Amino acid sequence: MHMPEPDSDVIERRDEICATLRTIIPAECVIDSVESMRAFDSDGLSAYRQLPLAVVLPETVAQIADVMKWCHQNGIKVVPRGAGTSLSGGALPLADAVLLGLGKFNKILDIDFDNRCVVAQPGVTNLAITNAVEDQGFYYAPDPSSQIACSVGGNVAENSGGVHCLKYGLTTNNLLGIEMVTIEGEILRLGGKHLDAGDYDLMGIMTGSEGLLGIVSEVTLRILQKPATRRALLVGFEDTESAGKAVGDVIGAGIIPAGMEMMDGLAINAAEDFANAGYPRSAAALIIVELDGPEVEVDTLIDRVEVIMKNAGASSIKVSQSEEERTLFWAGRKSAFPAVGRISPDYMCMDGTIPRRRLPDMMIRMASLSQKYGLRVANVFHAGDGNLHPLILFDANEPGELERAEDFGGDILRACVEMGGVLTGEHGVGIEKRDLMGIQFTEDDMKQQQRLKCAFDADHLLNPGKVFPHLHRCAELGRLHVHKGKMPHADIPRF
Amino acid sequence: MANSLATTSAQSLADASDIINAAIADDIRLEVRAMGTKKALGRMGAYDGVLDVTKMAGVVDYQPEELILTLRAGTPLGEVEALLENANQMLAFDAPDYGRFLGAGSAGTIGGVMVANLSGPRRLTVGAARDFMLGFEAVSGRGEFFKSGGKVVKNVTGYDLSKLICGSFGTLAVLDEITIKTLPRPETSLSLLFPADDMASATKMITDIFATPHEPGSAAILPRDIAKSSGIDMNAPMIIVIRLEGIAVSVKDRATHLLNANSAGETLVHNKSKNIWQKIRDVDLLSDAKADVWKVSCTPSIAAGFLEKLGQQAEFDFYADWAGGLIWLAGASDKEFGDAVRSALGADGFAMLMRDSGDTKTLVPPFQPLAKPMFDLHKRVKAAFDPKSVLNFGRMHDGI
Repeated sequence: MHMPEPDSDVIERRDEICATLRTIIPAECVIDSVESMRAFDSDGLSAYRQLPLAVVLPETVAQIADVMKWCHQNGIKVVPRGAGTSLSGGALPLADAVLLGLGKFNKILDIDFDNRCVVAQPGVTNLAITNAVEDQGFYYAPDPSSQIACSVGGNVAENSGGVHCLKYGLTTNNLLGIEMVTIEGEILRLGGKHLDAGDYDLMGIMTGSEGLLGIVSEVTLRILQKPATRRALLVGFEDTESAGKAVGDVIGAGIIPAGMEMMDGLAINAAEDFANAGYPRSAAALIIVELDGPEVEVDTLIDRVEVIMKNAGASSIKVSQSEEERTLFWAGRKSAFPAVGRISPDYMCMDGTIPRRRLPDMMIRMASLSQKYGLRVANVFHAGDGNLHPLILFDANEPGELERAEDFGGDILRACVEMGGVLTGEHGVGIEKRDLMGIQFTEDDMKQQQRLKCAFDADHLLNPGKVFPHLHRCAELGRLHVHKGKMPHADIPRF
Repeated sequence: MANSLATTSAQSLADASDIINAAIADDIRLEVRAMGTKKALGRMGAYDGVLDVTKMAGVVDYQPEELILTLRAGTPLGEVEALLENANQMLAFDAPDYGRFLGAGSAGTIGGVMVANLSGPRRLTVGAARDFMLGFEAVSGRGEFFKSGGKVVKNVTGYDLSKLICGSFGTLAVLDEITIKTLPRPETSLSLLFPADDMASATKMITDIFATPHEPGSAAILPRDIAKSSGIDMNAPMIIVIRLEGIAVSVKDRATHLLNANSAGETLVHNKSKNIWQKIRDVDLLSDAKADVWKVSCTPSIAAGFLEKLGQQAEFDFYADWAGGLIWLAGASDKEFGDAVRSALGADGFAMLMRDSGDTKTLVPPFQPLAKPMFDLHKRVKAAFDPKSVLNFGRMHDGI
């Protein structure tokens, strides 16, 4: 993975830059010792590490703006960081960039039950939002697996999902407003507590922009009343093809479950070893379907789903009879990653999405790729929305295995795009999938995206080297090659 | 030639690209238009010609089990809805039909609905048009082909340009294929009516209903006269209309719970329920054809205060949707009324002039004016897609 060549002039000026930063924000908010910066040298994609030029941890929005303004005026790059849980390297530091951490922005500013929203600083964790409102029966719907640690500002930057986004949407569908700081140090408010302003949807663009367009300094999130009941089914299948079809049958019957997850044999057994959740060990595929809502509705839909699963050839079906049992059904799925971690020294988690109907084809492709690369793969899917999380098992201590695992992962993502899907469903591009962007997008597609980047950050100072494989100068991107087009239907009158 | 306002039709993005390239070369500004049913929305720009996109129509791929519909932007909305209804699905954001309201005679095209980001009563709980746009193929104002998003429901690859395109009123790009997320139609639907003394108590009652697990789907507030004119007669100054949707046992159960909690409630079923939501969605409830109609988006808790403040300065009819967060106002067709709406609202929301019965639009900006830093950013975003201002220039804001 090649990152942009660090600017040696900037690195040489490091002491002077840190000294100046200490005059802009309180001195203790600037961290520049190597030992202290080690804690920030990586995010959830821990295969890649890099010490930043300096770490700044501002305490107020005005301080963020001051740092941004100074960095902009002095041509210093900035890498934003929330809780550092990105799985795609979005918060990987750069040697010549200031790492701007938002960890001190950990306060919930306003809980507004009347308008069903919460205003929070960006460093508040995802789960803390639900914790703050659940005494009134409310919760915040997007629930990435890292919700205990990941921050809501990071959720906006990555447009995070979770197992319940089939029914409740991603971050972008649950966000009402943000305050952001531009690279020039301008503080802007996009959206608010109300719905649908009539301007360009810049909040929609900021969501999932992976820290390339601005710093999220405040978020306004929509909260929902908790469903009255939640029940789940645990369904085993002897072949993955029938399981894949069953998932489509549920949706085809007009049922949108709160979550619909699938695991393959290797993942089932690893999870069962780890969590003793009562998973059918002999099954080739396991589906967990969760339904939520009023009790009579859930009971009725559970019955309907059970019939659909039977008709699709399920080899075993268990329906949760209590909240404990429902939690147990999920315990295996939720521990899938650490469970796989026990059966292999290392694993790599992929995140492509495919049209759901291609699931059986994908399983066949995955098996043949596994054979080709000589590496095992455990499959965990958000089956309801076609989002795959293949876990490629490897041993980084074996020479060449990491590279082989990366190539295997690349082939899986190529297959996703080839089958009509996309490179990433919820983890983001970051550095991990940056060099694969050309599989999904043409050079022109990416140039248009980068022109939008130029509207926010004309000097490419914010999080450069992420998302896009090639950096083009904004002046070059903006150049218009005027050529007289050949007009269609030359016989009709025109301007 | 340049002022003859001739129409050139594009059958494909290649055509659109050629037309835009020619316009760039000739320094010509184009109005991008399909059926023209939303022409009344936004500012009246000065254009040299029309780029007609009506012919880029038709369904490309519909996979009900994938919840995915790919179609060309010029497809009439009515055709899209008929197709989905056949498969027992819907556009969950409740695409409105402003054909009557705007005097256009039809609902126009799916592309028009998406680029104007128009959503109906269900927007409150399921999201806006922008939440259902998954991807598209387009030609920018640079005359260049590009695509964004994808044809799957879960995707975070690259910037989410679909959001930007929704609500851009054709000022950034010309769309061809778009991919939309569909959802199953609810098996049943009914409405509950509750009386309220005034706007403040109505929004509070809705807040209380949303604090139950009975899953209200839509919530509107109708003043008595307005309700009466559409066949709802309840003896109260304000009438709350709550829509419940889902499977039959669930809807019945939730309705029973809500009616038990408020014995003054009544039930509307079948067509009576369907009709009132269609009227709420399509702005059929404001009957004065001579009025200017404004749409105000605000938080429900400030709705009553806003209406009171406005009432001190002007006379108007109104009703509210989105739990009180969307207020439709019909008032005098003059600048004074527009100014009163904007000053009563302040910075607490968004006010848009939706229908102008005189020349108000030349006196009051239909879109809420942007503060300088936001205006500048909008201008840079516009330039990123359309540097020569070829597409719908000035439709949203002067200079954008």
